[in-house]
Amino acid sequence: MGARWTVDRVLGLAPDAGSARAARGLARPGTWSALGSNESLVWGRCQGSAREPYQVTVDLNEPAFRCTCPSRKFPCKHGLALLLMWAAGDGTVADLDTTADFAAAWAHEREARATRDTRPPDPEARARRVAERESLMSAGLDEFERWLFDLVRQGLAAVRSQPAEFWETAAARLVDAQVPGLAERVRAMGSAVHARTDWAAHLLESLGRWYLAVRAWRRRAALDPATTGDLRAVLGWPRRSEEVLAGERVRDRWWVLGLRQDEDERLLSQRTWLYGEESGETVVLLDFAAAGGALRVPHVLGSVLDGELAHYPGSPPRRVLLAGEPTTGAGAGLPVTDTVLRALDLAATWQAGNPWLERIPMALGAVTVVPREGGPVLVDRDGTALRLAADVDVWPLLGLSGGHPVDLFGEWVDGRFHPCSLATDGALVSV
Amino acid sequence: MSTPAPDSWESLLGAAVVGTGRRAVPEGVLARLAEVDADSPEATVLAAAAVLGAYRRAGWTPPPWHGTPDPPAEPDPRPLCSATAAQLLELLLDRGIQVDGGNELLVAHWSRACARAGTRPPAPLVLALLRLATTASGLREDVRTVTGPRGAWLARRNPRWSWAAPVDLGDPAEVDDRFATGTWAERLAVLAAVRRADPAAGRRLVERTWADEQAAARAGLVDALATGLSEADEPFLESALDDRAATVRAAAAALLDRLPGSRRAARMAERVRDLTPPEELDAAARRDGVTDQREHGQGRSVSWLIQMLGAAPLGEVPADLAAARPELVLGWTRAALRQRNERWLAALAEVRPTPELLGALPPERATAVVAREPTVDARFAGLLAACPGPWSPEFSREIVGRLRTARTEGTLTLAFQALARHLHHTALPQVEEWLEATPVDRRARRRTLRGLANALTIRRTIEQEFPS
Repeated sequence: MGARWTVDRVLGLAPDAGSARAARGLARPGTWSALGSNESLVWGRCQGSAREPYQVTVDLNEPAFRCTCPSRKFPCKHGLALLLMWAAGDGTVADLDTTADFAAAWAHEREARATRDTRPPDPEARARRVAERESLMSAGLDEFERWLFDLVRQGLAAVRSQPAEFWETAAARLVDAQVPGLAERVRAMGSAVHARTDWAAHLLESLGRWYLAVRAWRRRAALDPATTGDLRAVLGWPRRSEEVLAGERVRDRWWVLGLRQDEDERLLSQRTWLYGEESGETVVLLDFAAAGGALRVPHVLGSVLDGELAHYPGSPPRRVLLAGEPTTGAGAGLPVTDTVLRALDLAATWQAGNPWLERIPMALGAVTVVPREGGPVLVDRDGTALRLAADVDVWPLLGLSGGHPVDLFGEWVDGRFHPCSLATDGALVSV
Repeated sequence: MSTPAPDSWESLLGAAVVGTGRRAVPEGVLARLAEVDADSPEATVLAAAAVLGAYRRAGWTPPPWHGTPDPPAEPDPRPLCSATAAQLLELLLDRGIQVDGGNELLVAHWSRACARAGTRPPAPLVLALLRLATTASGLREDVRTVTGPRGAWLARRNPRWSWAAPVDLGDPAEVDDRFATGTWAERLAVLAAVRRADPAAGRRLVERTWADEQAAARAGLVDALATGLSEADEPFLESALDDRAATVRAAAAALLDRLPGSRRAARMAERVRDLTPPEELDAAARRDGVTDQREHGQGRSVSWLIQMLGAAPLGEVPADLAAARPELVLGWTRAALRQRNERWLAALAEVRPTPELLGALPPERATAVVAREPTVDARFAGLLAACPGPWSPEFSREIVGRLRTARTEGTLTLAFQALARHLHHTALPQVEEWLEATPVDRRARRRTLRGLANALTIRRTIEQEFPS
């Protein structure tokens, strides 16, 4: 997607001063839901005076507006308000992979009409938008590098005493520069430096990774496609699903190993970990929805999806997209498992391939859950132990395992294991 | 890439914490590791952090672990319950369905049916059952049974579930120790467990520490002997009638009330032989626990007689029970309830049914008494509510039909809990029909009937999934 518009550019579209004023008044998240955007569309639902919220969609290319409200003004205040919120770039209208149904339907209709008009898409306009975005990102990352240098010059101890706005401001600048992925990490650091006992090492490691992203961005022309994919993921430059679906596809029987949902004030996210029977590859499906929206119905844990997946460019464990509807069968527990050391070896290989990797899938075989003072651990047959994350409720694990060795799938994040599912009585159970 | 010096990360971290403005970057921090263009101290620190950080993350190995895991839970030989039964329990536990009067009632029903069928709940629900029964203590006995070895294993690991933790009776020394030194709740739990398995061993446990116990503890321990009570406890209880503390004497007398073969019962029989109120109370009668407490609306000596009758063995049921003096009926009723004498309980219920008497009778006898009641009113609802279950299909259908004809509005509401718990599920069509025939504006009645229909539907599923 190109750079976000300025407020003036949006208001320039208003049919009269009254619409502009009304739009400014409406441009507040309160009355809106299901907000989102992608390269060419911005959409949202606005609760107006009617019982059903108005469905508002804007196609940025022309631009073209669509709103279900009865207003005869064009564009109406809802479309303008939506664009104003999008232009603000404060994360209220976030770039999403999944387009809201009503927006996608309208875009589809328009596209069909356009094809009938035999007007070819304008590759020049697209190239121009990409160039715009790249130059915005370059400028933002240059500024971010200066911020990093400044931070290292002052010393981490001094940085720790900075107020929350210090991190918020830096994150907001990154959002303005269309680097929302880094912005998210910077924002999270604001609380991590206070919450963690190993804050200094954690901060230094993170600074190193952020700096690596800045340096990699400058060399982007020389990077291989996988590394470019990893870099785009950490920066937060999403790919259009059409682009991904047009790329490499793999047909396999995919075992659903684990499901995880996260929620923050803006976004719901869902990770579905899959294992390919033939390929032996572990991949992840990501779904996002704006807060208050609905995620795609999750696949059934422990089932096997027979079908084709499209890979996002990137290093393993790779992100994928479902290409078409798979047929669903039943699985039996976890298809393969590792010892703790073998899983850590695999993690090391993946981390060497993608230095920004944060969440590492692990299928551990025959581990015993041991409750103990100072935090529960998982111990495998070799007597190697991993610590469980502090917020894990250990009782369901103990209830399911009864102290017997069990197969466990989970995510390894920052030196702690977060369990997702456990194999019991030949079935996978969410924990 | 080669190996970094062992302390490179620490020295880098030291420099970064202070800041490059004040401390020089450790020399050669990137040497032999990576070819990086870093033209300022800040760039050097950040590049080194990137390289060494990746090295640290990828090269991390878990520290050695020297613990020993606890022995695992014993295997549960019972087969898993059906998938439908498991789903139903899950819905009841996570309130996916809600039943008037509380889901606990149906969870109890489910647990009993599952245990009776010799099956077990799936492991994920064992935990939820323990959590529920920790707050709803009425469920504990059923939950303890149905959760089996897995529940017991979990309960030993969490003090909140200690009520479900079994006492290992195989180790007498440990039992003695836990009983002698545990908290009061733990002592009672140990005593109850021992009494259930071996009443005599339990009594010996009490006798061993008896001399050193405080009065309040002694009274509590006597109360605890109610579990597994038999004539074998009589000598101990007889001696407790001479205790220094009135509370202990009263507790012993209350247990002896339940033992018609005791020496105290024989003495009481002697006192009430001619069914006349005594003129005065001698020291021996006072020792046996007869007090000056007046019975409601009765004089002093009649009150003595009632107390004595309540503690005396019951003879044959007199033919003219209906004509007997009220104070005699009162005393006999008390004795019949305490001694669980079914013949007497039934005879007394024939003459004048009370909720107390019906509650002590077996279901068939209790329901038979209710079936003969002529009018359906609040008193009827009270008797019905006291009837233990399960109720037969015939009685259930009959009772629904009669409740429907009741003119008093509150009858159904008063009996609701008992209906939801005991009504046979074959009465469901009748309840549904009644619901359909109830006008829409009678909201409260419709809600009650809907609640009843829900509970019966679930009970029917439970019956189907656990065939007996």
